[in-house]
Amino acid sequence: MNWKKTLCLVVMVLFVVGAVGCGGGEKPKTDEKKPIKVVFWYSVGGKVSESTKALVDRFNASQKEIFVEAIFQGSYDDAINKLKQSIVSKAAPHVMQVYDIGSRFMIDSKAVVPVQKWIDADKVDLKVYEPNLLAYYTVDNKLYSMPFNTSTPILYYNKNMFKEAGLDAANPPKTFDEVAAAARKLTVKDASGKVTRPGITIAIYGWFFEQLMAVQNAYYANNDNGRSAAATATAFNSPEGEKILTWWNGMVKEGTAANIGRKTADTQKAFIGGQTAMTIDSTGVLGDIVTGVGGKFEVGTAFMPRPEGSKGGVIIGGGSLWMLSGHPDAEEKAAWTFIKFMSDAKQQAYWHINTGYFPVTMKAYDEADLKAHHEKYPQFKVAVDQLHSTPITKATQGALLGVFTQSRQEIETAIEQVLNNQASPKEALTKTAGIVDAAITRYNQTAK
Amino acid sequence: MRKLVTAGQYLILALASLILLFPVLYAVLVSVQSASESVSYPPVFLPSQINWQSYVKAMETAPIFRFIFNSFVVSAIVTVGQLITASLAAYAFSFLTFPGRNAIFYVFLSTMMIPWEVTIIPNYFTIRELNWLDTYQGLAVPFLASAFGTFLLRQAFMTLPKELYDAARIDGCGHFRFFLTMVLPLSRPALGTLAVYSFLMTYNQYLWPLLVTNKDTMRTVQIGLAMLQWDQAAAWNSIMAGVMLVSAPAALLLIAGQKQLVRGLTAGALKG
Repeated sequence: MNWKKTLCLVVMVLFVVGAVGCGGGEKPKTDEKKPIKVVFWYSVGGKVSESTKALVDRFNASQKEIFVEAIFQGSYDDAINKLKQSIVSKAAPHVMQVYDIGSRFMIDSKAVVPVQKWIDADKVDLKVYEPNLLAYYTVDNKLYSMPFNTSTPILYYNKNMFKEAGLDAANPPKTFDEVAAAARKLTVKDASGKVTRPGITIAIYGWFFEQLMAVQNAYYANNDNGRSAAATATAFNSPEGEKILTWWNGMVKEGTAANIGRKTADTQKAFIGGQTAMTIDSTGVLGDIVTGVGGKFEVGTAFMPRPEGSKGGVIIGGGSLWMLSGHPDAEEKAAWTFIKFMSDAKQQAYWHINTGYFPVTMKAYDEADLKAHHEKYPQFKVAVDQLHSTPITKATQGALLGVFTQSRQEIETAIEQVLNNQASPKEALTKTAGIVDAAITRYNQTAK
Repeated sequence: MRKLVTAGQYLILALASLILLFPVLYAVLVSVQSASESVSYPPVFLPSQINWQSYVKAMETAPIFRFIFNSFVVSAIVTVGQLITASLAAYAFSFLTFPGRNAIFYVFLSTMMIPWEVTIIPNYFTIRELNWLDTYQGLAVPFLASAFGTFLLRQAFMTLPKELYDAARIDGCGHFRFFLTMVLPLSRPALGTLAVYSFLMTYNQYLWPLLVTNKDTMRTVQIGLAMLQWDQAAAWNSIMAGVMLVSAPAALLLIAGQKQLVRGLTAGALKG
């Protein structure tokens, strides 16, 4: 029995040591030459996080006055949840990467410093920056955050399959009708009439719905997409919204489009594996798709499809760098120096080549590395052209909504219901608008 | 004939285990595939060559080994803490008689109804006030006691015959000695179950470690796995490599502990 007592004792001692021994908070350092520390929260993992860390290292190596500590904070949603706690306990970071649709929340949190303040103080010439990117993050004529990781959706197509089906691979479909017609030709059926390869596969992703509204120059929310004043209701329950669902649903019902769920990772896999001839996806994954295909077929890219005669364009998506308030001036200035460094041509060229996100500054296109990269991936030119041909209107600037995350999920549910024959486009959108409108009302009551 | 039956049984068992293990097996295979193999169609099972690059990539993206160490430390503290607090509380609820015992026990149980998410914010403020952010105690202390563990052990202790207790008391055995030398050894299966359960629960935590830590050196494995993911595309081979690295130590520990668990079960059954 003795060993059991000993074991018990050891375990108890271990526990006490474990609980007490690991203490010891941070000791305040009195070294006067210590550089100013800037805390930077970032949210995108995988290959993007490596590029983010590489750029931060580059900044830290480039000078001695400022040290940036980059901390990964989980997904965008996790990071925002963490920020909510940190604002209350005055432990907010200096700089934080927040996704596009978190903009309204960030502004309403009243815990941010618009970067415009430092752009004015520093007399930065914004002309070299991509205007479409700045437009998204400009609210009340103030640039609130610096665009960082930016992408738009494009249509990807398999050129070899186009040729096999007798379609012009150099002239991809542009309108909803043309895409539907091409998909019909590209669909392969077996002897019994069962579809073995659908012409197009689109993930049920709320972002695509937002984009397809913008290409029609239609609003997603009222008060001019929440840009003239805070949105009080949604606006997607409209003929334009119905047109999207009717088009999508029509192709699924014909069997020329496949519904394989909400994950774009799955549609990517289907496209790379030659399981479908067309897909819609972000420009950010162009590199992954081309490498994944590895020369098995030629990858083509095209503008987002739109109904005939539409005059809109695409909304940028991704994330931007926000400055949080409540820090001493010197630290705020240091944070701005870091943000400015990150948006410089050299860093942006590196960023674009390694992640596929758009460069924030147009000067990056003059960098030799980037030119070589574009020669290797000519498909990217389409993405740049699409961005530049997008007129800046309140529709293409994108909606500002405090409950955007929820709204996106509700839209995804609506699309699913339509594709699964549970509701007509009109019914699904009406129901979704009701849910999201109620959420907006609740949000507006608490945000004031 | 007998041999044939045994062979048949083994064949069926082998097939069943293959089905059960298939997800794990596939994850192992994907983790050594090249990037293009992991996205090709039809899916590739056997990689053309073993590709360790994904493991290197996973370790470059996230400091996995440090995270595994941290998770082990925190999970060990929580496991030991829960065993101590839950067994002592369970002993009180099953062997001591005091007024309001059942009422207090039900209050104890009712805390199981409070979702953990509700207590996150107050817990966070407490930990911050104590200056325990970025420390092991900040990660572990909120989980040192659990109503579930107390309930589990109380039920186990209740199955011990009352006569045992009476006999021990008559022979002059005190509460603490009875607890240490009789109750605990006889309840090893239940203690083992609670240990495994609390270890895995802590090992799999995500939100709490994310909230109370801000340094790579203090973070735990689930955050490491999140670091390997990008919302727009998935590099399945390096994600799976990360999953393998993270789950291997926990799985090994379980395999090692399983023998002990089974032995405890049979020992209890024979002696009890």
